Amino acid sequence: MKIAVLIKRVPDTASVFAINPDQKSVATDKLKFVMSPYDEHAVEEAIKLKEANGADVVVVSLGPDSAKEVMRTALAMGADEGLLVTGAGTDSLTSKGVAEALAAAVKSIGAELVFAGKQAVDDDASQVAERVAELLEMAHASVVTKFELNGGTAVVNREIEGGSYTLELPLPAVITIEKGINTPRYPTLPNIMKAKKKPIAEKSLADLGLSAEALAPGVVLESLSLPRQNRRNHIIDGDTPARVNELIRLLKEEEKAL
Amino acid sequence: MSDRLADMRHIRFLLYEIFDVESLTQYEHFADHSKETFEMALETGYKLAREVFWPAYQPFDREGIHFKDGHVTTPAGMKEIWKQCKEGGWFAPGADYDYGGQQFPHLLTATTSYLFNCANTSAYMYVGSAAGAALLIEKYGTDEQKAEYLEKLYSGTWGGTMCLTEPQAGSSLGDITTTAVPENGHFKIRGVKRFISSGDHDLAENIVHPVLAKLPGAPPGVKGISLFLVPKYRLDGTYNDVATAGVEHKLGLRAQATATLNFGEKDDCHGWLLGAENRGLECMFALMNGARIHTGIQAVAGASAAYQCALQYTQERLQGRSVSSKDPSAEQAAIIKHPDVRRMLLHQKAFVEGNLSLLLFTAKLSDIRHASTDEAEQQRAHLLLEILTPIAKAHCSDGAFESIRLALQCYGGAGFCEEFPVAQMLRDNKVYSIYEGTNGIQAMDLLGRKVPMNGGEALRALIQEISETIDAARKLEPLKEMAQSVEDIQNTVAEVTMHLGAIGMSGDREMYICNASDYLDMFSAMVIGWQHLQMATAAQKALDAGSDDKDFYTGVVKTASYYCRRSIPKALAIATILKSNERTALDYEEAWF
Ligand SMILES: Cc1cc2nc3c(=O)[nH]c(=O)nc-3n(C[C@H](O)[C@H](O)[C@H](O)COP(=O)(O)OP(=O)(O)OC[C@H]3O[C@@H](n4cnc5c(N)ncnc54)[C@H](O)[C@@H]3O)c2cc1C
Repeated sequence: MKIAVLIKRVPDTASVFAINPDQKSVATDKLKFVMSPYDEHAVEEAIKLKEANGADVVVVSLGPDSAKEVMRTALAMGADEGLLVTGAGTDSLTSKGVAEALAAAVKSIGAELVFAGKQAVDDDASQVAERVAELLEMAHASVVTKFELNGGTAVVNREIEGGSYTLELPLPAVITIEKGINTPRYPTLPNIMKAKKKPIAEKSLADLGLSAEALAPGVVLESLSLPRQNRRNHIIDGDTPARVNELIRLLKEEEKAL
Repeated sequence: MSDRLADMRHIRFLLYEIFDVESLTQYEHFADHSKETFEMALETGYKLAREVFWPAYQPFDREGIHFKDGHVTTPAGMKEIWKQCKEGGWFAPGADYDYGGQQFPHLLTATTSYLFNCANTSAYMYVGSAAGAALLIEKYGTDEQKAEYLEKLYSGTWGGTMCLTEPQAGSSLGDITTTAVPENGHFKIRGVKRFISSGDHDLAENIVHPVLAKLPGAPPGVKGISLFLVPKYRLDGTYNDVATAGVEHKLGLRAQATATLNFGEKDDCHGWLLGAENRGLECMFALMNGARIHTGIQAVAGASAAYQCALQYTQERLQGRSVSSKDPSAEQAAIIKHPDVRRMLLHQKAFVEGNLSLLLFTAKLSDIRHASTDEAEQQRAHLLLEILTPIAKAHCSDGAFESIRLALQCYGGAGFCEEFPVAQMLRDNKVYSIYEGTNGIQAMDLLGRKVPMNGGEALRALIQEISETIDAARKLEPLKEMAQSVEDIQNTVAEVTMHLGAIGMSGDREMYICNASDYLDMFSAMVIGWQHLQMATAAQKALDAGSDDKDFYTGVVKTASYYCRRSIPKALAIATILKSNERTALDYEEAWF
C-alpha cells in the first residue's frame, strides 16, 4: 500500500515576524523554518501504519528547494521517499492551485491513503487536503484524532464540540490529522544517516501536466499586517479560591475571553 | 521558564563560519557526513534538549535520587529520558559504525552534548558515563572485551562509570588502596570507591565499572596503578559483589547518583585487566583528558542557560527609571535598560561565546588528531590539545560559576529563590571546578607540565596560532585596537613565563608552583581573547561584505571588543603580581592561621 503524506515547510511560530515594506509578503531572511506541527503528526501516523501493516510512505510537498530540509526530517522519522513539486509558478499559488498541483502529484504516485495535517500553521486555511480529496474524488475526513485500518475501510474518530464521532470511509481516502492522535517521534541518528540516501524526486508543474497560468490565483492579496500587541500584566492577590474567582471574572468581563 | 537555552545562531556561526565543520568531511572517517546530517542532528538534539531534558530540570532537583536497601532509584521521568536517548542513538553518535555509532565528528557531538548540558546535566551524565566507559574499552580492550561490552554500552543496554577516587585518595591517585589479585583468568578486586557518578541506578540491566586498583607488589605511587573492567553483573549474569554503600547528599546535580561503591565486600568481585599492567592511570587519562574538556562543556552550557534566562528576565522585569529621567511618575523601565544590568549581561555573553568557541576548537582538534593522516597536522593538534585542556577545564568552570553569579544577580531577590531555575543553576555548576581534577590541580598541570613540556613546544604552537589570528585581524581597520590588546596579553604571558621559568630552573619548585592558579587565570585571558578576536574577524568580514544579519555580526564584534577592553586589562594586572615574587602563602606558618 502506498501512503502519501502532504507536508509543508512553514516558519516556526516562535520566530520574530516582520512584513516587507510592500505589505504583501513576510520578510523571510530571519525566519526559522520547520515542518508544520500538524504535519508531523500526519507523518507519525503514516509511519505507525507502515510499522503495523507494511506500507510505502511518500512525503509530498510543494515549495522551494529548501522544502527538502523538512522532507529529510520526515525521511529521518521513517518515511521512505519524497516528492517535491517545485520550480516556476509554484511560489505564487493559493490553496486552490496548491491543491491542484498536489492532487496531480498524489495521483502520479498512486497513493491509496493520503494523510495531512489538519491545517498549516502559516496561513491556517484548512483547504488544501480537502480540495485534494475533491479533485481526486476520494473519501475524506478532517480533524481526526484516531485512525484504524479495517481491511479496505478506514475507521476514524473526529473531534466535535463536546464529543467525538466515528466514521467509516472506503479507501482511497484523505485524512487530516489533529494533534492529540499521537506523539511524533524524534528522528534517530541512524535514521538521519539513512535519510540522506533516501530519494527525493522533483517535479515541475509542467511535469505534472499543469501550467502556472491555469493555476493562477483567483484572488488578490490586498495587504498583510501584524496583530496589534497589547500586553498588560495583571497580578491577582488573595487566597487560591478568591484568585480563581477573580481570574474567571476578569476573563469574562474584561477580556471577554469566556 | 525560558525555552531558549542556547543561542543557536551563534552556535551555527561557530560550527560553519569559524570552525568549518564541513571541512572535516574531507577525512575518510567522516566522509558520509554533510551539512544535512549535521543540521538534522543539531535540530533533533536541541529539540530533545528543550522538550525532554529541560522540563525535568527543576523537578529532578526537587525529587533527587532515592537510596533504599542498597539500591538507587532515579527520579520519575529519568527512565523515559534514557529510553529516548537509547532509541535515538545518543549513546554513540561519534562511535564507529562497527560498534553501532554514526561516526559524527566530535565537533558536532560536543555541540549536541553542550545542548543536553544546557538543559539537564544530572540526567545527561547517566548517558555520558556509559559512553565514557565504552571509549576506554574501545581504546584498550582486547577484541574479546570489545565484542563483549561495546555494543551493549553504545546502545544504552548497559550503563558505565569511571572509578578512580577513594576516601583517602582524590587528588592524589597514587595513594589508592584498592587491590586486584590474580586468580584463574581474572582478578579479585577489593576496595572502596567514593563519589562515583552514575555509580548505581535503575536505568540499565548492568553497569560496567572501569576501576583503578593495584596488583600485589606493584611499585608505589602512580606507576603501580592498573585498570580493570568490573561489571556489576558478570557476563553470565551472576552478581559480581559490587555493593552500593550509599549516595551523597549534594549542593547540586541532585538527580545524579554519586555513589560509594564497595568492591568485593564478600570477597567475590571479579575484574578483568584493561590495557597493560601498571599502566592504568595512563589508560584512564585517555578518558580523563576528554572528560576534563567535557567538564568545561558542562560548565559553559550551564552558564549559557542561565544567561538566556537572565536575558529574558531583564527584558521583562520593570524597575526604576533611567538615571537621566527626572519624572518619578514616568513608567518604569525594563531593567535591561540600566547600564549595570547591561554590564552583567555583557559579561555573561562574552564568557559564554568566548569559552564555547575554545571548547569547540578543542573538539575540532581532537577530530583532526583522530582522523587526519598527515602526521604534522596530527602532532600540532595534539600539542594544542595538551596545553588547552587545563584551560578548558579550569577556566571554563571558574568562569561559568562567576557568570551564573551575575545571572542570578540580574534577578535580584527572585534569583535567590528556587522558583526560578537560576539558583539551581548556580548550585549545579559548582562541582565543575572540583571533579575531574580540581582547578588547583589543573593549574599545576598547566604550569608544571604543559608549559615546560618538550622544551615549551606546546606553548610555541599555541603562540603561533594566536599570532596568525592577530595578523589576520590587523588587516581590518575596526579590529586594530582589539588585535593590539590580544598581542599585549600574549607578550605579557611570554614575559611572565620566562620570569617564572627562571624561578623553576633555580630549583625553587614551591615558589614556581605557588603561582600556578594566577598564571592560569592570566593565560586564560590570552586564550579567550584570541577566540574573541577570531570570531570578530569573521564577523567583521561578513559586515564588510554587506551581510543582512547586521545585528548578529555587530553583536559578535562588540562583545569581543568588550572582552578585550574589560577583561584583558585585568589579566594584565595579574602579571604584576606574578612578577613580584610574592610568597606570603609559602612563608606563612600554620600557627599564624
Ligand atoms: C559530584 C561529584 C562527582 C564525582 N564523580 C566522580 C567519578 O565519577 N569518579 C571518580 O573517580 N571521582 C569522582 N569524583 C571525585 C572527584 O574527582 C574528587 O572529589 C576530586 O578529584 C578531588 O578529590 P578530593 O575530593 O579527595 O579532594 P582533595 O584531594 O582532598 O582536595 C581538597 C583540596 O586540596 C587541594 N589539593 C589536594 N592536593 C593538592 C596538591 N597536591 N597541591 C595543591 N592542592 C591540592 C585540592 O585542589 C582541593 O582544593 C566526583 C566528585 C563529586 C563531588
